[in-house]
Amino acid sequence: MILPAFLTAEHTTVEQQIEQILKQALSELQSASQTSQIQAFSVQYLGRKGLVTQYLRNISQLPAEQRPMAGKRANEIKYILEEALQKALQEIETRQAAEDVGIDVSLPGRAIFRGSSHPITRITRQISEIFTRMGFAVAEGPEVELDHYNFEALNIPKNHPARDMQDTFYVSEAIVLRTHTSPIQVRYMEKHAPPFKIIAPGKVYRCDSDITHTPMFHQVEGLVVGESISFGDLKGILTAFVHQMFDDQTSLRFRPSFFPFTEPSAEVDILCVMCRGKGCRVCKQTGWLEVLGSGMVHPAVFENVGYDTSRYSGFAFGMGVERIAMLKFGIDDIRKYYENDIRFLKQF
Amino acid sequence: MKISLNWLKSYVPIQIGVNDLAEALTMTGLEVEAVYDRYDYLKTVVVGRVVSISAHPNSAKLQCCMVDIGKSLVPVVCGANNVYVNCLSALALPGTQLPDGAVIEASTIRGAVSEGMLCSEAELGLGSDRSGIMILPKDILASLATGQPLTSALNLSDTVLEIGLTPNRSDCLSFIGIAREVAAIQNTSLSYPEIKLPEGKNAIRQMTSVTILAPDHCPRYAARILAGATVGPSPHWLRDRLISVGIRPINNVVDITNFVMMETGQPLHAFDFDRLAGHRIVVRTAVSGESFTTLDHKSRTLTADMLMICDGEKPVAIAGVMGGFNSEIEPATQSILIESACFDPTSIRKTSKYFGLNTDASHRFERGVDPEGIVFALDRAAALMVDICGGVLIEGVIDERPVVQELKPIVFSAEATNRLLGTQIDSAVMDSMLQSIGFTVEPLNQDQRNVVPPSFRVDVSRPVDLVEEIARLCGYDRIPTTFPVISEGSAQSFLSQNSREQILQLMAGLGFSETITYSFVHPQSCKHLRLEPGDPRMRALRVLNPLSEDHGIMRTSLIPGILETVSRNISRQSKNLKLFEIGNIFVSNGQDVLPDEIEMLSGLWTGARHEVSWHTPDVACDFYDLKGVVEALLAALHIHDTRFFRNAVQLCPYLKPGIAADIQCGPQVVGHIGQVHSETLSSFNIKQQAYIFEIDIRKLFAMVPDVHQTLIIPRFPAVARDVTLILSKTIESSRIMEMVQEMHDPLMERIMLFDVFEGGHLPSDKKSLSFRLTYRSAAETLEDEAVNELHKSISDKLIQKFDAELP
Ligand SMILES: [Zn+2]
Repeated sequence: MILPAFLTAEHTTVEQQIEQILKQALSELQSASQTSQIQAFSVQYLGRKGLVTQYLRNISQLPAEQRPMAGKRANEIKYILEEALQKALQEIETRQAAEDVGIDVSLPGRAIFRGSSHPITRITRQISEIFTRMGFAVAEGPEVELDHYNFEALNIPKNHPARDMQDTFYVSEAIVLRTHTSPIQVRYMEKHAPPFKIIAPGKVYRCDSDITHTPMFHQVEGLVVGESISFGDLKGILTAFVHQMFDDQTSLRFRPSFFPFTEPSAEVDILCVMCRGKGCRVCKQTGWLEVLGSGMVHPAVFENVGYDTSRYSGFAFGMGVERIAMLKFGIDDIRKYYENDIRFLKQF
Repeated sequence: MKISLNWLKSYVPIQIGVNDLAEALTMTGLEVEAVYDRYDYLKTVVVGRVVSISAHPNSAKLQCCMVDIGKSLVPVVCGANNVYVNCLSALALPGTQLPDGAVIEASTIRGAVSEGMLCSEAELGLGSDRSGIMILPKDILASLATGQPLTSALNLSDTVLEIGLTPNRSDCLSFIGIAREVAAIQNTSLSYPEIKLPEGKNAIRQMTSVTILAPDHCPRYAARILAGATVGPSPHWLRDRLISVGIRPINNVVDITNFVMMETGQPLHAFDFDRLAGHRIVVRTAVSGESFTTLDHKSRTLTADMLMICDGEKPVAIAGVMGGFNSEIEPATQSILIESACFDPTSIRKTSKYFGLNTDASHRFERGVDPEGIVFALDRAAALMVDICGGVLIEGVIDERPVVQELKPIVFSAEATNRLLGTQIDSAVMDSMLQSIGFTVEPLNQDQRNVVPPSFRVDVSRPVDLVEEIARLCGYDRIPTTFPVISEGSAQSFLSQNSREQILQLMAGLGFSETITYSFVHPQSCKHLRLEPGDPRMRALRVLNPLSEDHGIMRTSLIPGILETVSRNISRQSKNLKLFEIGNIFVSNGQDVLPDEIEMLSGLWTGARHEVSWHTPDVACDFYDLKGVVEALLAALHIHDTRFFRNAVQLCPYLKPGIAADIQCGPQVVGHIGQVHSETLSSFNIKQQAYIFEIDIRKLFAMVPDVHQTLIIPRFPAVARDVTLILSKTIESSRIMEMVQEMHDPLMERIMLFDVFEGGHLPSDKKSLSFRLTYRSAAETLEDEAVNELHKSISDKLIQKFDAELP
């Protein structure tokens, strides 16, 4: 065995030699102040040709009775040194870190394109979630629709003034772009027997264009049919909806109105969310905002789909998604929704 | 409809404040949309005294006045010759907008300063006198100083309610109708105008006759004749009434018919009796192709089902819509036949729609007039004409009534009403509610009643119409709020809705912004996509009445909409765009049948690959960026068997040949992806490359698995080996990968392409592809030698199959 210089003649026994190596190593480690010194130390003592490693290797040459003790101690020492080395390294790192200027953490992170959902999709989703939580199913239907489903079946005959309530895009005499999502309800009733609760979201079309109207917009309509469904139930469901959509402090006002497919019909106003009823530009100084149309399904509509009007009653309601989104997001020009300016879209 | 409170007070006293009245009307179903002060426009018009008058330096016609308005003297240039020192007049201060639209400004008129305008009655909308400035009586200042608003000096005050009437409430298209509602709200009584007519022999029958040849279209026609009348301007009160509700005064005869229509809701028409051939009226349908000139001087061609009022020879009015030029009241008219009739709503509506003529009369006839109110309105008009136009009313009235519609009783049940409303209103209370609005109630038994509505409620015919009246009178706010009791079993959403929602979320997560564009596009957009005539996407549905040519057809592809969005954003300096849309396209099956509606997803990437930043170079996106998005989307939906094939040009002519692919999932092509063709780009005025994909998501919905099996994470390590092949450029990399996969070696886990190289020392028709193959056994750690052997065998097969070389 080649002994290092610091093992003088007095370290004669194997035990003495290994203890001296430990002592020497620890003192060297104490004086090390650079990572490079630690690395050199690690090679010198613990590397493949390091002193401790060599010592361990040489144990086999010792007399048999000394081997267990020497081996055990050598392993202990190896462990002690490894621990000490880790500690010294950490100390150096901590010290260096304190001195280091580090990186400029204020530099922007690696940017990624952030996507977004259209505000109309977001609000439609929110509305649908509220109703599905209340047990409503979601129904869908065609956007290009037969006059029959869009009007006739809904108690709006040809040449009736109620047709003026909705300016219609025509494809032909018998085919229109649906002016509301109510035809979905008629189609649903033709295929399903009561009781049920559905909502029908979707695009609708009316020939109208200004700051509050676009020729295409979105509606969510709903229909509840069962035995002994009452006007009180209509009030209950819509109140629950408004309280979840806005907040439970939002007052509602139901007032008489007219829709050909419901009777009695009600417009639902909510207390202006902008001014809380004091009167402002958004509510045209009235303190109220019209957000929903509703009513008890007209018996003529049930007759058209073959429901027994003596047994079943129901209510229907509908709302414009754009209108609600305008209130929720403070958007004052409805046309913004369809310009799809990326600076607008990214805000959602 | 505009309702002047001053006018309304002629029929009912108003006992509540105007805001309460508006609120109460709204809550009974007559929505008050606006409330405004009729004289708001006069708030900057004050009483002024002319203190001095001097000649205008540069005009002989003008004079310079100093006007005392209390706190100051105002210089005013005046052109009227009735001005005199110390006269009191109305001075409009700068900022005033007169009814004719003119705005008064401080100005210099031919060198003289003028800080207001002395106005005539007519200029202020307060009368017809335009001969000079308005001279106010001296005693007006007894209680007021100069400078006071003219409205207080003249006691001008009126409030106008703007009421939005729903189509069912034709009974409220009149002052009396609204007064009836107000009386019900206040529980006060209504006063009808008093009519005094000289009556005697039925002399009118000797002078004229009314023949109804189309009784289906005209159930009742009444007429009176006034002889020797003088046509001229109406008195101020009558003009004022009309102006207050936005009707332009014309002459006394026409003004009276309009006034009575506003009062009673019954449209009237006045004919010049002497111009009626044969001095008689015939009500018949038109002769097809007949032409007729209406009061607005437009010649119109009639169709056979239009109802016409005719004289002995020819049409003289389009019934219920507009009178004829040939029988118009003129200044020289002396004899007048007044018509008060009832026409079939549908017939009137068809004609009015056909001609695009929506008149105050047609509006009311379409909604239905009170058949019992016809003679009352006629008499009212006749009495006013005698008063105002002079002349002699011919005794008697013609009242032809071929069809008398009986008022059928409606069977009404209190119990059914309570059940539908969710109320517990006593049946006796319901009886009195209905009686309070003029319905006759006759008990049948404890629960049921025979109810007859008043004749003016033409909208009431079913029991549910009575339920509505009860709900309205009870007040919606007093109906208890409850929750429906309904089994929850039926509520389930459809898989497609879940999948669509997932796609929306994934695309946003992949950095794309959702757009929603109009479903209608310009007819040229198919051409912009370079579609061939036989392409199904050329089968676009036309909209018959689009708002503009830009919205002329229903889209057959989402791509025009998304490219337009790109174009608009680029013009607004947003050049890096990742956009997507989910929406229906419409493929026509002919204009008379429903089209195929196909739900599509389109995605577009243009501009930078990354958000440009200090550490990221500005690199443009390419085909593979967008392809990666599609792959990630499909993988996230657990649709795994996905392949991309070079696309046949005719399928997607809007894509650049060579950089276009079909997206195939399983056996089906679900969509296309590629670089947008330069011609298409320039059609949309886009000057940068764009990559786009379009997928039929209905097909995807069907492939999204309900549940999917989780793979076991392997226990043993994998060994990777690389192989680089030099082969012809024409060989698509996917063929090599597919071949390896088709070998189905159980130890070959995965093949990945990690490098593609062209150029350099390679021949120009060659490329080098480097693959990493991963080997793994599920049962043991693989030995190097076994892997080497397997890898060599696979590599050899590839070399042979694709005529490849090793580097
Ligand atoms: Zn408000």
